[in-house]
Order: sequence, then structure tokens, then C-alpha cells
Amino acid sequence: MYIPIYRGWGRVYEIVYFRRLLLVNPPLPINNQQLKLKTENYLLFMAVSTKGPPPIPPNSPSKPETVSRWSSWAGPLALLGPSGLLLALLLVIPTIVIFQLSLVPNIKPGDLVNPSGIANYLRVFEPLNVQVIGRSVFFATGTTILCLVLGFPVAYWIALNVSPKWRNLTLLGFVLPLWTSSLLRSYAWITILRPTGVLNSVLALVGIPPLELLNQSSAVLIGMAYSYLPYIVTILYASLEKLDRRLLEASQDLGANPVETFWQVTVPQTMPGIAAGSLLVFISCLGDFVDPELLGGASSMTAARLIYNQFLGATQNWGLGSALSMVLIFAVSIGIALLLKYGDRNAV
Amino acid sequence: MPPTNLPISEISRANSTRRQFLKNSAATISGLALSSCGWRLADVQSAPPVKGNADQLFIYTWAGYTDKALLDRFAEKTGIRVVADVFDSNEAMLARVQAGGGRAYSIIYPSDYMVIQMTELGLLSQLDHSILGGLDRLKKQFQNPVYDPGNRYSVPLAWGTTGLIYNSEQLKEAPEDWDYLWKHKKELTRRMTLANDVREVMGAALRMLGYSLNSTNPEEVKKAYEKLVELKPAIASFTTDAWRPQMLTGDLKLAMCYSSDANEVLPDNDKLRYVVPKSGSSLWTDTLVIPKGAPNPEAAYKWINFMLQADVAASLVERLSFSTPSEDAFSLLTPQVRENPILFPSESILKNCEGVAPVGKFIDVYDRYWTKLTSG
Repeated sequence: MYIPIYRGWGRVYEIVYFRRLLLVNPPLPINNQQLKLKTENYLLFMAVSTKGPPPIPPNSPSKPETVSRWSSWAGPLALLGPSGLLLALLLVIPTIVIFQLSLVPNIKPGDLVNPSGIANYLRVFEPLNVQVIGRSVFFATGTTILCLVLGFPVAYWIALNVSPKWRNLTLLGFVLPLWTSSLLRSYAWITILRPTGVLNSVLALVGIPPLELLNQSSAVLIGMAYSYLPYIVTILYASLEKLDRRLLEASQDLGANPVETFWQVTVPQTMPGIAAGSLLVFISCLGDFVDPELLGGASSMTAARLIYNQFLGATQNWGLGSALSMVLIFAVSIGIALLLKYGDRNAV
Repeated sequence: MPPTNLPISEISRANSTRRQFLKNSAATISGLALSSCGWRLADVQSAPPVKGNADQLFIYTWAGYTDKALLDRFAEKTGIRVVADVFDSNEAMLARVQAGGGRAYSIIYPSDYMVIQMTELGLLSQLDHSILGGLDRLKKQFQNPVYDPGNRYSVPLAWGTTGLIYNSEQLKEAPEDWDYLWKHKKELTRRMTLANDVREVMGAALRMLGYSLNSTNPEEVKKAYEKLVELKPAIASFTTDAWRPQMLTGDLKLAMCYSSDANEVLPDNDKLRYVVPKSGSSLWTDTLVIPKGAPNPEAAYKWINFMLQADVAASLVERLSFSTPSEDAFSLLTPQVRENPILFPSESILKNCEGVAPVGKFIDVYDRYWTKLTSG
């Protein structure tokens, strides 16, 4: 995760890069066409730089031709080789195995793996299972919205109102809950939400009738929003911290009220961060197992729990479980593709 | 899948049409191609046995089935150090053993129906009764159990029932049978939990309707499911463990649970009671088995013999609160424990109880109803 300690580097890079742009392409001689191109280039660069990542300077001094092809591969190979091997062994191959299993109807441990059709996938899309997947999507969407609504003000406050000295500490405070086990956090919510729990005791003191939250969808949303809030806050913070305050002032000068400024200046500028944070939360929620299981009550079957039941429940239908997993992996891949396209790369 | 392995010439000699010939050869080729890439999912039987350290014994057991005093006593007696790992469901244990992750264990504690499944899968080694002492001192019904006639592969260690734990202060009348849940649905709404186990929950509804716990009759299972759908709005959740704190604080009025758990919780709140429903419930037995190719079998036999010792078994009943199948151990217990109806229910109650048995392919039907029930 991005920890914003080296803020300000981007600005330095910007200046250096612009200088280099001028150096590499000396301003003279110049014609209109070239000037237009260069301006476009600069604008493009500015656009990119506000979006985030310091681009790698192009036109770096070209290496002499004598350098062999092999040595140009050796660096990346040495750097990426070990992790690449790990990824291949622990991610790519297992995924292929899951895919293979998903093509065998009713496979149980001890059976011969003989891919023979898409019957499992047809079962995944039976109305019953679609309903379960739908509930997962509902929980994920609800949690994402909750996280966004709760997380944005916090990130905004840390990025704009907290003095730089305290920013990292405040942010750390927000990430702190991640240091405890997610299981423990869910159990804590049971204690808070149960009929005679902490929440209802407090409400009784104020004179509000008790709420029936535990073992309902609302409890799952509360639990999941609490679990994923730190993620979205850090990502939104990274995005908001780059907010150009001059634009806020300009907007104020031009007569916009704070609400208009927020919607028309702040939000568009932080859109990549919002997209990145929301998608990250959405993807994580889609596969969450603990919160629906512990907080959701009798009607909380989600895709993750259904997969668990296929592998470790009474049925042991590993084929259906694999097909469900593949569908979930596919859905998450779409999410990640969107993240790469629209997300703030600097923040993820 | 039957790949047609006949030589092509033979097929064509069988006087077939061209279309048939093409069909057959296509089947042959695809069959060969597929079977060459076929592999067996989690095949551990062909793996060579693991060599173990003679003074170390790895056991795979339920949480709460061993304690330090027990392990120390065994180490003192035999000089063997026991390392206990725990599992929380039979299915999770089976998955691990089948994936090859259980090869270090010399002793596993599966339940009755899992013994059947593991025996069918050829995962268990047959026990040498000449080394075991005390099997003949088991209560009669445990000497020849249905799940393992003659105890060829397993030795029963603990048993219990599934029933209802309830708060006697909050319920107007005490529940006696499963139909109480339906009759007092309103009163119990969102204040009761059922087990997070398809067979136990469906089994309860099946028993209430007067059918077998292990019914494979689609009509009966459907009726049981419909009964549960009726009850569904009143059920707070399906959980096997999480009822404990909420039962103690009075947030739940009633929960479906195992007798051993109930016996553990009861002393903490004097309002709580446990009952085995009249129309019958599930009777479970947890056993000791030695997996095939287990390291250090001598130590494993020593462990089983140690657990069969009357004084050891009796001390476990008192410390870990599960019922023992050993007649000798039973006679060593204090009268107070012996008359505890949770640990040792009367014969009239037990005669209606059944063990959960595997239902083969029919489990798919149960699972579909379960998914429907928990997602509706």
C-alpha cells in the first residue's frame, strides 16, 4: 500500500522533466507545427502528472549498440525472476488446476480428473446460485458506498486540515485496526450489536428503543465497512493530498459556494483515487467470508461461503466449487482491469 | 469414462457405417488425449509412508479433546511426546488428509459417519486387536457399532447427542420435542439458532416428521425442507459455536447444540437447561483411528491403549465433559457425574436417536436445499 511519506517528489520530478524536455529539444529553430506539438506535449504531461505517476523520462540517452540483447534482458530477469517464479508456482498453476477441476462435474477428492464439460458452469448460473452471487454483489456494493461516504470526509480532513507534522500519525491511527485479526473484529461487532449488547445499552441510556441489528444484512454491512474503511481512507488521502488548492481558491474567487466547489473541483480531481479505493473495497468484499458468516444470520449465504461449502462442507463437490471460484476470479479480474484503466496508480 | 481402445481396423471390420467409424475414432482420440492429461485429485494412497521419530506422536483431534495434563501423563508413562493439532469439522479434516497434509499424524479423531467415508476411501489401517486392551470392556452398543462393525478400523472414544439448550427463565414452558420450535415460533423469533450443519438441521426436521435422520427419500427430505422454510424467519442464524456467549447473556432463548458443549456451558448460567428432543435426534460418536501408512504405529497403539484405560477415560469425562463408552470408566465416575442426564441420557431417550450416516450421492439433494434455505 502507498504510504505517503515522500510527498513532494512528484513536483521535483515535474521540474526536472520539463527542463529535460527543453534540453533535449532545444527551442530553436522552431516552426508552428513543432510549437503546437510541444505545447500539446507539455499539456499532456501536466495532465498526466496531476493524475499521479512521475513518468519515466523519454529520450534517455540511447545506449551504444554494442550492448548485447542478452544483457538488456539480464536485469529484468534477475529482478523479476524470483517473484515471477513464485507467482507462476503459487498463482498461475493453481488457477489452471482450479480451471481444470471446474470442468469435471461432481468431482470429489480421490476421483480422476477428467475435464469433460461445462456442466458445473451451467449449475453456477442456476437461479439459486445467481441469487447467492447477487447477495455477494449487494454486500460489496453497499459496503463500497458506505466506505466512500464515511471515508471521504476523514481523508479530506487529514489531507487538508491536519498539519503536515501530524498527518502520518493520524493516518497511522486509522490503519491501526488492520493490525488485529479480522475474526476478532467481527466478534467485537457481535458484542456491540447483540440485543443486550454495547450499542443497545448506550441507546437505552439515551432513551432510544433497542435496535435489532445482529444477524441481519445491516450487521454485515457495518462489519465489512469497518473492516475496509482503512484501505479506502489511505487511498483517498493519497489522492486528496495532491489536490491543487489554488483551484479551490480560484473557484471560491469566481463565486462558487463550497458545495459547488466540492462537486465541481474537488471530486473531479480526486476521481482516480475514488475509483481506485472503491474498486479495491468492492473486490475485497466480494470474496469476504468472515463477516457474512459471523454477522449475517440465517439468510447470509454468499458466494464465498458457498465455495467453502463445496470444498469443506458435507457435499465436497470440488468441481462446482472450482467453477464458482473461476466465476468469482473472472468478476474480480474485470474489477482489476477497471482499476488499472481508471484508478489512481500512485495510490494503489 | 470408457475410452474405446479397440484398434481402428477392428472397428471398421465390425461392419460399421462411415459415420459410426468417424464417431468411434473421434471418441478414441479424445479419450486418449483426455486420459493422458487426467490426474487423480489428492491421491495420497500411493505416497510412501512417512518415517517418524519414535518418541514423538502427532495426533489430529477436535479442539477441547486433549489437555496438558493428559499429554503430560502419557509422556510420563511412555516417554513419548505428543503433539496435538486440532480441526473443527470432519470435512475439513478429510480434505486435509486427502490433500496429503495429514501424513504426519498417527492418530486421527473422526466421527462415526466419517469413519465410514474414510474406510470406503481406503484411508484407514485395520487395527490389530491383539495389541489393544479393553475393547471388550466397552458398553455393548459400542462393541459392534453400525459405522464400523466389530471396531475393525476405529475405537470409540467419546459420544453424545444433539439437542436443545434453552433459557428456562425466558421460555414459558420447557421444550420437550422439536415441534416446540414451530409451536412457539413467535416467542422464539430471532432468539434461537440452529446448528451450522446441513445434516443435523435437516435431520432434526426429519425426526420431527417421524422419518429417519438419514432419509434418502426425496419426498421426505422435501417435506423436511418445507418445514424448515416455515421456521426460517424465526431463526437468528445457523451456528455451531457462536451461540455460547449469547446464550449466557440471555440474548438467545434457545439454541441447537451438542451435549458436550451444553454440559460445558451449563455451570456458567443456572437458568440454562439441555434437552434431547423426544422424537429423537442424532447420536454421535468420536473415535480414534490410525491412518494408512502412519508413522510410528507402536506409539499410536500405545495412545489408544492409554485412552482405553478406565482411569484415564474417567478423568477425561470429568475434565473435558464428554461421555465415555467404557463400562469400567463409567463405574469409576462419581454418582453425580453418572447421573448427569446430559452426559448419560436414559435408554428411553437414546432409543429414538440415530447416528448420522453417509447418504452417498444423495448429499447433493441435501446441499441444494441447504443453499436454498440459507440464501432465501
